[in-house]
Amino acid sequence: MSDILIGALSFPALLLLIFLRVPIGLAMFLAGLVGLVIVTGDTTIPFARLKSETYTTFSNYSLSIIPMFLLMGHFATLGGMSQALFKAAEGFLGHRKGGVAMAAVGACAGFGAICGSSLATAATMGRVALPELRQYGYAGGFSTATLAAGGTLGILIPPSVVLVIYAILTEQNIAKLFLAAFIPGIIAALGYVIAIRLYVAINPNEAGTRPRVPWGPRMQALFKVWPVLIVFALVVGGIYAGIFTPTEGAAVGAFGTGLIAWFAGGLTWASLGESFRVTAKATAMIFFIVLGAAFYNGFLALTQVPQELAAWISGQGFSPFLVLICILVFYLLLGCVMDSLSMILLTIPIFWPIVQELDFSFVSMVELQTAKLAELVASGKELPQAVLAEAQAMLAAGQELPREITRELGLRGVSNGVLNRVNTEMVAIWFGILVLIVVEVGLITPPVGMNLFVINAMSRDTPMTHTYKAVLYFVGSDLVRVALLLTFPVITLFLLPI
Amino acid sequence: MHSVMMRLARVMAFLGGAVLTALILLTCLSILGRTLNSALHAIGTGWAQSLIELGVGPVNGDFELVEAGMAFAIFAFLPLCQITAGHAVVDIFTSQMPDRLRRVLASITEIVFALILVLIAVQLWSGMESKIRSGQTSFILAYPVWWGYAGAMVGAFFAALIAVYMAVMRTFEAATGRAILPEAEGAEH
Repeated sequence: MSDILIGALSFPALLLLIFLRVPIGLAMFLAGLVGLVIVTGDTTIPFARLKSETYTTFSNYSLSIIPMFLLMGHFATLGGMSQALFKAAEGFLGHRKGGVAMAAVGACAGFGAICGSSLATAATMGRVALPELRQYGYAGGFSTATLAAGGTLGILIPPSVVLVIYAILTEQNIAKLFLAAFIPGIIAALGYVIAIRLYVAINPNEAGTRPRVPWGPRMQALFKVWPVLIVFALVVGGIYAGIFTPTEGAAVGAFGTGLIAWFAGGLTWASLGESFRVTAKATAMIFFIVLGAAFYNGFLALTQVPQELAAWISGQGFSPFLVLICILVFYLLLGCVMDSLSMILLTIPIFWPIVQELDFSFVSMVELQTAKLAELVASGKELPQAVLAEAQAMLAAGQELPREITRELGLRGVSNGVLNRVNTEMVAIWFGILVLIVVEVGLITPPVGMNLFVINAMSRDTPMTHTYKAVLYFVGSDLVRVALLLTFPVITLFLLPI
Repeated sequence: MHSVMMRLARVMAFLGGAVLTALILLTCLSILGRTLNSALHAIGTGWAQSLIELGVGPVNGDFELVEAGMAFAIFAFLPLCQITAGHAVVDIFTSQMPDRLRRVLASITEIVFALILVLIAVQLWSGMESKIRSGQTSFILAYPVWWGYAGAMVGAFFAALIAVYMAVMRTFEAATGRAILPEAEGAEH
C-alpha cells in the first residue's frame, strides 16, 4: 500500500472510531500512532516523538491562552456580570415585542466579549435570563432556542477559544483574527434580533409583554456594566494595540474578572475550587484533542495527502467560490454530529492547504503599492517630489508602478511575493471567520446541537421538539449571515490594514 | 475506592488551577513592570534605572515559567477529565445501541485510553531522562529543562493511574452488566 492510500484510508477509519463513541482526541491520537507505525515500519519513530511531543504541546505558550480564557469566563460569571448585562439590555429592550428575548441576545453578545466559549456563555446566560423570559410569558421552546443561539455569540465575538486554535493551526495573527471577527459578531447579534422579530410576528402568542423601565433605573443598570467594558477594552484593545501578546491579554482578563468577582463577593474558596474544576475538565478535554490532532496531522503530512489533495483540486480549475462553498457545506453537515473545536482540529490541516491555493485576489498590486506608498510618505522620509507626484497620479489612475519608479522612491515590500502573502493572510482570516460561523451553527442544529441540550436541560418543562422548532429561525439567520459574508468579503476584511 | 480516586483527581485539578492562577499573576506583574518601566523611560532614564535596581521591571523569562507551569497544570487537569469522562465524544450513533454492546464498547475504549496514557507517561519519563542526560537548560532563566518534565510527570502519572482504574471499572461493568460508576458528564467547552 502506498503512503497516500494509507493516509486517505485513515480518515474514514478515524470517523468510524469517533462514531463508535471513542473520545475524539483519543481517536485522532490512535489513528496518528497506528498510521505512523505502518508508514515508518515500526514503533521507533512514533514512540520517540512521544518523548517530547506531549510536553511541548502542553507547554505551548500560544495555547496557554486557552485555560486563561476559560478561567476568565468563569470568574466573569462569579462576578455577576451576566446578570448586570442582562438587566441593562432588558432596561432598553424589554418592553418591545419580543424584547426580553432580544435583551438575552444582547447580553449574550456582551458576555461573549469577556468569555471565549459558547457553552459557557449559553449556560451562564441561561441561568440568568430563562427565569425572566418565562416570567414574562415567553414560550419555553422560544426561550431555550434564543439562549442556545445567543450562546454561539460567545465564540464569534472575541476573545474566542476556537479562533485561537484556528490561528495556531494556520499560523495567523490572533489579534487580526479577533479584529476581523468583531463586525461579523455584531451582525450576528443583529441577525438574531431580526429572527426574534420574525418569530414573534409569526407566533404572536409566544411572547408576553413587559412594562417599560423608567430612564433612571435604566441608566443605573447600564452603569453596572462598566466592569465588562473595562475588561473587554483592556484585553482586546491591549492585544490589538500590541501592548501585550494574546496570552498576556488573557492573563490580564482572567486577573481583571477575578478581581471583579472578588469585589462582588462571588469568589469564595468553594467557588474558586469549582472554577478550577470546570476549567480543568474543559482544558484537559481541549488539550487532549489538540495533542491527538498534532499526532494525526503529523502522520497525514508524512503521507502527503493534504498536499496532493490541494494540488489535485487546484489543478481541476474549479471556481474558488465553488470549492469554498463545498467546504462550508461539509462543515454544516459534520457540525450536526460533532463539536466545533474537534471539527476545526480535525479538518483545518486538510482544508487549509486547499484554501490557500484558491485565488480570490482580495488585494491588487495597485492597492498594495498605494498602501505602502502612504506608509512611506507618513514615515517622513525625503522623497523626490516629482517622482512621488507621478507615482501618486499613476496609482490613482489604477496603474501599477513600474520597477524604475519604486526603486527611485525606495518603495519596499511591493513584490509579487509580498502581494501573495498579503492575499493569503486575507483569505486565511476570511475563511477562518466563515468556518467559525458554520461550525457554530452545528452547536444549535438538531439533533445534537450541544447548546440546545445545555439550555433545554435548564428548562425541564420544555419538550426538545419545541426548542428544535424555534431554533430554525436562528439557524436561518446564521445561514443568511454566511451568505452575506461569503458574497461580501469586505465586511470581514475592511477593518484590517493591508 | 471511587471516592479516593475522585479526591485525588480533584486535588490535582486544584493544584493545576493554583499554578495557573500563579502564572496569571506572574504575567500581570510582568506586564505591569514593563509598562511602568517604559513609562518612566519616557520621563528619564535615571528613574527607570533606579527602579530596575529596586526590582521593578518585567519579570525576566516570564514566558519560560509560563510554559513549564502550563505543562504541569494541563497534565494535572487530565485525571479529573478522565474520571468524570469529560472527553468530547460523538454519541448520536451509539445511543441507539443495546446497553450490553454500549458497555462493551465503553470498556474497550477505556482500556485503549489507559494503554495510551500509560504509554504517554512512560515516554514522558524517558524524555525526562534524556533531558537530564543532555543537561539542556532553558534559554533565559537557564533552569534545567528536565524540571519542567518532572512537573508534568506528576500529572501524567496520576492520569495513567486513574485511566487504568477507569478501564478496570468499565470492564467490570461490561462483564456484570451493572452500572457502578456515575454516568458520564460532559465538559463545557
